[in-house]
Amino acid sequence: MVNKELNIVHLYPDLLNLYGDKGNIACMEHRLKWRGIGANILACTNKDNSMNLEKADIIFVGGGSDREQEIVCELLLKKKDELINYVENGGVLVAVCGGYQLLGKYYQTANSKIEGLGILDIYTDAGDTRLIGNVVLESELFEQKITGFENHAGRTYIGNHTPLGKVLYGHGNTGESGYEGVVYKNIIATYLHGPLLPKNPMLCDHILGCAMRRKYEDFNGFAALDDTLENTANKYIEDRFLKK
Amino acid sequence: MRKILAIWAAKLSAVAGRMIGKKSSSTPGDIALKICPDIIKILSKNVKKGIIVTCGTNGKTTTNNLLNTALLKCGYKTVCNNLGANMVNGIATAFAMASGITGKFEADYAVLEIDEASARRVFAHLTPDYMVITNLFRDQLDRYGEIDITVDLLNESINMAKSVKLILNGDDPLTVQFGEGRDAKYFGISEQVLPQIDETKEGQFCVKCGHEQAYNFFHYSQLGDFYCPNCGNSRPAIDFDATEVDLSGSMKFTVNKSVKIDVNYRGFYNIYNILAVYSALSVMGVDTSGFNSMLADYKPQIGRMELIDLGKPVILNLAKNPAGFNQAIQTVMLDKRKKDVIVAINDLANDGRDVSWLWDVDFDKLSDENLNTLTTTGIRLYDISLRFKYADVKVNNITKSMKEAIKRCLKTDAEVCYVLVNYTALFSTQTTMLEIQKELKAGGNENGK
Repeated sequence: MVNKELNIVHLYPDLLNLYGDKGNIACMEHRLKWRGIGANILACTNKDNSMNLEKADIIFVGGGSDREQEIVCELLLKKKDELINYVENGGVLVAVCGGYQLLGKYYQTANSKIEGLGILDIYTDAGDTRLIGNVVLESELFEQKITGFENHAGRTYIGNHTPLGKVLYGHGNTGESGYEGVVYKNIIATYLHGPLLPKNPMLCDHILGCAMRRKYEDFNGFAALDDTLENTANKYIEDRFLKK
Repeated sequence: MRKILAIWAAKLSAVAGRMIGKKSSSTPGDIALKICPDIIKILSKNVKKGIIVTCGTNGKTTTNNLLNTALLKCGYKTVCNNLGANMVNGIATAFAMASGITGKFEADYAVLEIDEASARRVFAHLTPDYMVITNLFRDQLDRYGEIDITVDLLNESINMAKSVKLILNGDDPLTVQFGEGRDAKYFGISEQVLPQIDETKEGQFCVKCGHEQAYNFFHYSQLGDFYCPNCGNSRPAIDFDATEVDLSGSMKFTVNKSVKIDVNYRGFYNIYNILAVYSALSVMGVDTSGFNSMLADYKPQIGRMELIDLGKPVILNLAKNPAGFNQAIQTVMLDKRKKDVIVAINDLANDGRDVSWLWDVDFDKLSDENLNTLTTTGIRLYDISLRFKYADVKVNNITKSMKEAIKRCLKTDAEVCYVLVNYTALFSTQTTMLEIQKELKAGGNENGK
């Protein structure tokens, strides 16, 4: 049997590196390796500009400051068609925070309008206040709640797209809509930044599963892992902020 | 009259706070400001020689208090917020407590550390003559937004104090930018000291043109001899530099090729704190000839590699952001004794509610053959435990009780125990350590030793 492996392309970790996005990469890598599946982390940096989507099984794009996000937008616009093609063909894309915003049509800041990739039919306006705090979501994908932390000035309007979850605690996409993130084909886009996946192992496995199914016809699910610590960390946030 | 009332109320509140065991140094100031909103403005007019403030992400308490110690040693009278309360209310507390009950207040210098985000509010009350900026690192993002916002806030504050003399870390591109077109002196470490490792560099893009920066050598985070290959922006000429750095025993270095510093401090970052103080004193025109003995007089704030004897040495250290934690880990790893390590992470307002910064700390470096056991605790004990799990570092004990954690470490055969905590865990941990010390003494007597 040939050893299975996934290629995870981390887009511009040198530019978009706020809020410990490394944690999400480490989580995907470890959860594959613990199951005997190979994980190749391919960092595409501004320095080497090595973005190669042909090999990608999962693309991850994180958050940065407005300034850095603008640079990344410019770089990615050159690859726009390739990225759209990838997504429409079921390619897995995980976008967090700033990465989420740039999948939309545009991000309107106080000073400028940053053109997005237009992969999703969504747009973002900068608000006067930042939406900050712990978040608990109810998602149709999982029984377990999704827990995390948000910190964004942008208000993202998702139109007819399916949200990642319903906000049980926190602000979400606009602070008013009651929903957070977007799920489209194999895209997971969310404002929940940093170590989202370590504390939401079911979400991590969902993402990895999508990539495995797309790559290997004979993939029939993952072996269970001991997620006691992961689930305890997740449940702690749920219990603390959802007072029953 | 309002002034005197405000001073009395603040003093009373401080006494009451001490009686119920509360160590807050903000509340008395809050009360004073309510009674007399101009209390800082009125009292700070009586500062005779100058007001010096210290801002920056890391090292401001040490720098500020060291500066205060030095000025006291020179015989000056000072007012200083040396308990670390560094917003408007903390400054009001410092002034109120330094006043007599008749409202009389006199000082040669006001020596104040100020929270970056609060600087513009503080400067509405008083105008500093000198300002030290130690560095800017990623810290408590949920409170400050992003580092760009901190830069804007500080620029706004500096513009409010037009004739202020700046004393800036010349190795930090983010800090250097404040000196542009202003009256500024720079301090820096002018030789390569540490191995050139790759860690999170916050200010990796040129503040002028956005191009990626390069370094002739760098110290940690984004500090070093930086330059921009694109626009030519670079580390400025350094007015106060450290060379001949030797960290093998005590801390030794030479300032401006002539002043030899030799102190029993730990941690590379303390070179910057000492340099900042030396630079500030020089700019202020204070005699620095007894500088080494000034340093020897300084009692570090609690939790700055604070050694407490609990039958074996237990060392308590505060670290509250990735740069601080990476430096703490480096200091721990330099100690080659067999050791137990306890890490406590809280997420209260003063810590920053967001703990995602834990994933920007190089915790994997903590694991080596000298690490005996690792314990996690604090409000976010599960998050820090998960962080270690995904860094492939084994956590031996996860507990909600700091007391249990320390007691367990006292029983192991490790020679030393390090306790790394973030902000709000600091005071409670120190209290716990002193409790254990007391119990050990009492227990010792019962056994007739």
